[in-house]
Amino acid sequence: MQRTTLLLTLFLMAAAAFYAGSRRSLDIVRGHTRELHSLPSYYGYFTALWCGLPALLIMGLWLAFETSIITHLVIAELPPAMQSLPDERINLIVNDIRNQVGGSAFAGESDPLIQAAAARYQRLKDISAKALTVVVLAVAIAGATFARQRIRKEQRARNMVESATVVFLIVCSTIAIFTTIGIVLSVLFESIQFFERVPVTDFLFGLHWSPQMAIRADQVGSSGAFGAVPLFTGTLLISAIAMLVAVPIGLMAAIYLSEYAAPKFRATAKPALEILAGIPTVVYGFFAALVVAPFIRDLGMQVGLSVSSESALAAGLVMGIMIIPFVSSLSDDVINAVPQALRDGAYALGATQSEAVRHVIIPAALPGIVGAILLAASRAIGETMIVVMAAGLSANLTANPLEAVTTVTVQIVTLLVGDQEFDSPKTLAAFALGLVLFVATLILNVIALYIVRRYREQYE
Amino acid sequence: MNIIAEPQNEIKKERPKMRYLETDRPATPFAREHIKTVGAITVDSPRITCRNVNVYYGTKQAIDDVSLDIGRNAVIALIGPSGCGKSTFIRCLNRMNDTVIGCRVSGRIGIDEQNIYDPQMDVVLLRAQVGMVFQKPNPFPKSIYDNIAYGPRIHGLAANKLELDEIVETSLRKAGLWDEVKDNLAHPGTGLSGGQQQRLCIARTIAVGPEVILMDEPCSALDPIATARIEQLIDELREQFTIVIVTHSMQQAARVSQRTAYFHLGKLVEVGETAQLFTNPMHQLTEDYITGRFG
Repeated sequence: MQRTTLLLTLFLMAAAAFYAGSRRSLDIVRGHTRELHSLPSYYGYFTALWCGLPALLIMGLWLAFETSIITHLVIAELPPAMQSLPDERINLIVNDIRNQVGGSAFAGESDPLIQAAAARYQRLKDISAKALTVVVLAVAIAGATFARQRIRKEQRARNMVESATVVFLIVCSTIAIFTTIGIVLSVLFESIQFFERVPVTDFLFGLHWSPQMAIRADQVGSSGAFGAVPLFTGTLLISAIAMLVAVPIGLMAAIYLSEYAAPKFRATAKPALEILAGIPTVVYGFFAALVVAPFIRDLGMQVGLSVSSESALAAGLVMGIMIIPFVSSLSDDVINAVPQALRDGAYALGATQSEAVRHVIIPAALPGIVGAILLAASRAIGETMIVVMAAGLSANLTANPLEAVTTVTVQIVTLLVGDQEFDSPKTLAAFALGLVLFVATLILNVIALYIVRRYREQYE
Repeated sequence: MNIIAEPQNEIKKERPKMRYLETDRPATPFAREHIKTVGAITVDSPRITCRNVNVYYGTKQAIDDVSLDIGRNAVIALIGPSGCGKSTFIRCLNRMNDTVIGCRVSGRIGIDEQNIYDPQMDVVLLRAQVGMVFQKPNPFPKSIYDNIAYGPRIHGLAANKLELDEIVETSLRKAGLWDEVKDNLAHPGTGLSGGQQQRLCIARTIAVGPEVILMDEPCSALDPIATARIEQLIDELREQFTIVIVTHSMQQAARVSQRTAYFHLGKLVEVGETAQLFTNPMHQLTEDYITGRFG
């Protein structure tokens, strides 16, 4: 039986088990639902869980180990001469066998030994599939029967179903955690490979970024330079400009919307501001590259400044506009959450509106505002598209916002675009940059948590 | 499967619905328009005079033609069932209703002959003159010291740190909180107990140097001991301030006030000397309320 069919059958059986379980509970008490500990449907879920869960578990384990066990068995049947080959050769042979099974190899070219092994492989797979079907269905039926037999009127089916739900919720909540750990580990291992070729100190403190690798030994410009400092400064510069734009404007907008604006205006203005967050960053990117950057260049020319047509200023300004809604919308929410009693207290002492805002409301809302700002900051650091289009790709080490700079994220993109070997330092450098980016945002989050906790202690 | 055995604790019995007994109803039904204020609304040399005050929330009338004098250095208690307008009325006296959207006030409220609803009136100065303590203690998320110093700072009452320190100390002393907090003035005000927080709020109000203190059910969130402490404080403060207190507890009104005003359906029903109003009410509605027949 096909696996999807098997899954579908299992599902139908669980549904049947649900029906059987709830019927059974009703039969036990002859329809007097009040005598049951739980509602009949809980007995149904109880039976369905016993039917479905063990069977699914066995199926999962079976599929996880099926391939390696079959491969092992096939290798064991190969002639001893082949078995004594080194591991890489054996892997190649196994690959051939699988291709033969999958039908992607040319039958005429493969040797009879492989063909025989492929046939054995196919046969084992068929047996495995049949056995799986039988075992899974048997377990499902056994589970359902067992659970149905155990139903008593005083049985706490509701509590059991609840605890099964809790387990399910725990699994869901850990998926995100394990995914994060997985991503961190994969980036970490690739970075370690990179640091085996390029020393960590060269990477972290080198002032020159030119990620080229020679294909031939005698190539011109064969030595790459992997000093990431220009990228860090570029990222910092653009993020700083963006934050300088977004934090004051966003915060003032939030204060106006939550404290001063009439409810009608607020109801219109807030969604309008949030539309900014919905514009794709690539649209911001060409807005920056085609409108803002030339405008800044022309403006600079008029006052006698030399501005490159791709500048950190253009990218930073547009990025700042982009993250205004993050600051304003979240700050607006936290300012609104400040209790009315605090406002009343300030007004009753004769505070004017701006005094109440400055001395009482903003301090009370500060933890949330800091959170909003740091969220915006991590958004700015991770932003790629605007920088690619508006700030350029040249890794200049400069603090001048009128020059072209590049950022960590942009370089990751350029390193990985196109055909790449996955063992050259050039490609691996992307993972090292990714690791640095991850550590930077992690530090930012830790700082945010620290600030929030500190003010919590002081204020609540 | 993880099976946790838990004691069975669900009793699904229907609770009997609350019903009004016939005797709970007011003995005499009064329509709003038939209520006329009885008792002496005027006093000699009043601090606040209210004449024909009406308050509307949108189209709903919350206060209907109330005239009342509030005397100097005395405590007047406003009592009445929930929704009778006593909180709305007290919030008119320092224009806190301005912050409520859709609220409209007509009539005249004068403090020392100055109409506070005059367009020329500076609300900020009015509120410095007429302080307010709220139902729930609402200390600012600042230190105890800064909570008290906030009002004097924004009104420029202290020329230097020394003067400010003095204002903070005298205010806390007057509110009877000094001995409890003098060693931890830098601690957050929100860390105090409920009763202490309410006294902190009273101290904060005193620090601005008001003439009138409005208290909107100041003890409703406090335990009996803290309540007794606040009531004692109110009695002490009477020497320097005019106090208007809204309360749900008739015992409290009897204990702390010299005059009592009884509100019903947005109308001022009866006002008079506290002792007289509680022992010998003139209006049928007042009698029904204070004898516990409704409310």
